[in-house]
Amino acid sequence: MISLPHFLAIGAILFGLGLIGFLSRRNFITMFLCAELMLQGVVLNLLAFGRYHGSLHGQAFGLFIITVAACEAGLAMALFLVLYKRGKSLDSGDWQAVREAGVSATLETEALPAYVPDESPTLPVAGRIPEQPEVTVQEPFRA
Amino acid sequence: MPEPMTPLGLCLIAVALPLVGCLLSALCGLLKLNKLAHLPAILSFASAATLSTFVLLTLAKGDSNLSLFADLGTWFSVGRLDVPFSFHVDSISLLMLAMVTFIATFIAIFSASYMHGDEGYARYFSVMGLFVFSMCLLVTANNIFLLVAGWEGVGLCSYLLVGYYYAKPSAAAAARKAFLVTRLGDVGLILGVFLVWQMGGYHTNIDRLIHHIVEHPPTDAALLTACLCLFCGAVGKSAQFPLYVWLPDAMEGPTPVSALIHAATMVTAGVYLLARTAPLFALSPMAQIIVTAIGGTTALLAAFIALAQYDLKRVLAYSTVSQLGFMFMGLGCGGAIAPNIAILAAIFHLLTHAFFKALLFLGSGSVMHAMGNVIDMRKFGGLRKVMPVTHLTFLIGSLALAGFPLLSGFWSKDMILHALQDAGRSRSPFAFIYTGIFAVACLTAFLTAFYTFRAYFLTFWGEEKIPHEAHGHAHESPRAMLIPLIVLAIGALAVGAVVDPLTHWIGDFFERAPVVHEADHAFEKATNMVPGHHEFSWTMAGISTLLAFGGIGLAAVLYRKGGPEVVPEAMRPLQALSLNKLYVDELYGATLVAPAEFAATGARQFDGFVGSLARLISFVPRLIAAVLRPLQNGLVQFYALGMILGLAVFLTVVVVRSFR
Repeated sequence: MISLPHFLAIGAILFGLGLIGFLSRRNFITMFLCAELMLQGVVLNLLAFGRYHGSLHGQAFGLFIITVAACEAGLAMALFLVLYKRGKSLDSGDWQAVREAGVSATLETEALPAYVPDESPTLPVAGRIPEQPEVTVQEPFRA
Repeated sequence: MPEPMTPLGLCLIAVALPLVGCLLSALCGLLKLNKLAHLPAILSFASAATLSTFVLLTLAKGDSNLSLFADLGTWFSVGRLDVPFSFHVDSISLLMLAMVTFIATFIAIFSASYMHGDEGYARYFSVMGLFVFSMCLLVTANNIFLLVAGWEGVGLCSYLLVGYYYAKPSAAAAARKAFLVTRLGDVGLILGVFLVWQMGGYHTNIDRLIHHIVEHPPTDAALLTACLCLFCGAVGKSAQFPLYVWLPDAMEGPTPVSALIHAATMVTAGVYLLARTAPLFALSPMAQIIVTAIGGTTALLAAFIALAQYDLKRVLAYSTVSQLGFMFMGLGCGGAIAPNIAILAAIFHLLTHAFFKALLFLGSGSVMHAMGNVIDMRKFGGLRKVMPVTHLTFLIGSLALAGFPLLSGFWSKDMILHALQDAGRSRSPFAFIYTGIFAVACLTAFLTAFYTFRAYFLTFWGEEKIPHEAHGHAHESPRAMLIPLIVLAIGALAVGAVVDPLTHWIGDFFERAPVVHEADHAFEKATNMVPGHHEFSWTMAGISTLLAFGGIGLAAVLYRKGGPEVVPEAMRPLQALSLNKLYVDELYGATLVAPAEFAATGARQFDGFVGSLARLISFVPRLIAAVLRPLQNGLVQFYALGMILGLAVFLTVVVVRSFR
């Protein structure tokens, strides 16, 4: 029998994973996904309590949160886009320059792993040996 | 607005001319025409002198009241205080005007040569022009605030000229001292002006104000307060005890300045003020006796100090203080005998003193010029062969100052002594005080003759001694400096005799001034005595001749051989006392200046303390910020961690509480 503590445990695990991810990752997208993960942990909590009490309040709140999360996702993505355009990077550590004057930098930002484009982006023409495109290692992702 | 060709119009033009001269001289300085800067000053003074002398001669004869008024519009008007540009020319102011411009002309001629090649040539003549203008304004102003304006103007010019060599610390200090000490007196003057303004029915024109006070006399105490306040101003400006200390120090300025401002004209402003407000003093015999007493104290004190000074200019400075004391003694007699005699004696002495003291100062300037700016009488001597003209004119000045018979100083000093003697015999309740002061005045007259001739003999007699600062070419001064000396010497010789004893002209002339009548009227009202008139007294002339001969003779016996001075053992302490100016400066330094400096230092320390306290308080936010600033490190993760930790603490508290 799946009882309330099981749901709560899953919710707590989701929240914890999201939290750890949010604190430890520097890529904006990943951080955002982690934040979503935490949010979903909370939603699971609400649903579990709604079911436990036998009311629809929990589900109603869950729906609200999903809606708000959708909006938030739109906003966050738009923000990331703007930041990327400015700095050609999604590394949140790059923005530590906005710190207070006179405070030394906390992170030594190192380059992200090189981005290797997909070797075969399109399907080869039938009956022909596919051409191997030259593998080039591009500049690091961040400018 | 008066017609320009009437006597009044000419007088006003004479007042305005020096201002034009001042501006033109300043312009010369601006246009880099430094060498021409003396021309506007000399020309404007000379034309002003011509105009005012012409008016004086035109109006000299006659019996009618001499009193001309001009009103040139409003200066300012606030509530009940209405201050017009109002001028009044009567016998006293006309005489002062002519005297000031005449002497200023010759001193300017002397200066043109004396100051030749000086860096601040244009500045010198410009300020001198401003000075003469202010002085003329002072003597012709009918409005009491206009008079104060002139009064402050001459004070300012005195400050600027004493501090002419402003790069020299002693000159700067002397200028500051002169300004601050006279300022003490000016506080009294301003209070007095407002008091008489209030008592005089809120009139600001002196004639109406005085008339109002004489017609509606206030209480004795109020009148005495007002008179003493006005006298306080005069004490400051005319260097009377206890505020005389600035005048000897003012000798730091160029010598012609000492001659013009600190001997002949500005320092007599106090005497003029008291003459102008004589009816008020006539109503208050108590104030008069204080004036006489202060004058007597000053005269004796300064004469005593002058006895042992080695600096020729300082001897003359103390003698000026002493002679001003004589004038105040004369003015104070108005309380016991008629004010007309008192005013006549004081102003007459003022006039003669202006001539011979300007002459003496210019003579000392001439000596200084030849001796390479050395003025210490121990360093030179026997100059009568080197500088014959200076010697002769200086001798005439000295004789006049000493009161040698028939010279100008003799007649005027005689008049003051006579007035004092009469006051001692009058029915006044203070007669015995006047007798005491008469004795003081006689002693002072004797001392005057002595110290004047001590200085004369030490400078011009004995072995010829020339300081090495003169670089071996000690010579008689150029002609431009000798002409003023000769003119002033003629004045010192003649002005006394021509003006009073033979013709009685000045006495009659003064009778025509309304202020003298008003004063006599007030005197009658206050004392129920009938005012008399001045008469020449042979006894008095004999006494003063004896005093003069005694002083001159004693000096001749002691100093005929010139320096160095030999002081008998018994006189040493007295000589030290005199040489050190009775330690008055030291006394003021210890009792007034030191506590003030102490208080100032304390205030400064306290100010520093308050300032550092404020800085300390302003440091607290910076300190807190310095602690918190590293938190703002620009990392999103760090902020998130902060939130999480905060949440964790919050939850821990909630959980722990719920389990308790």
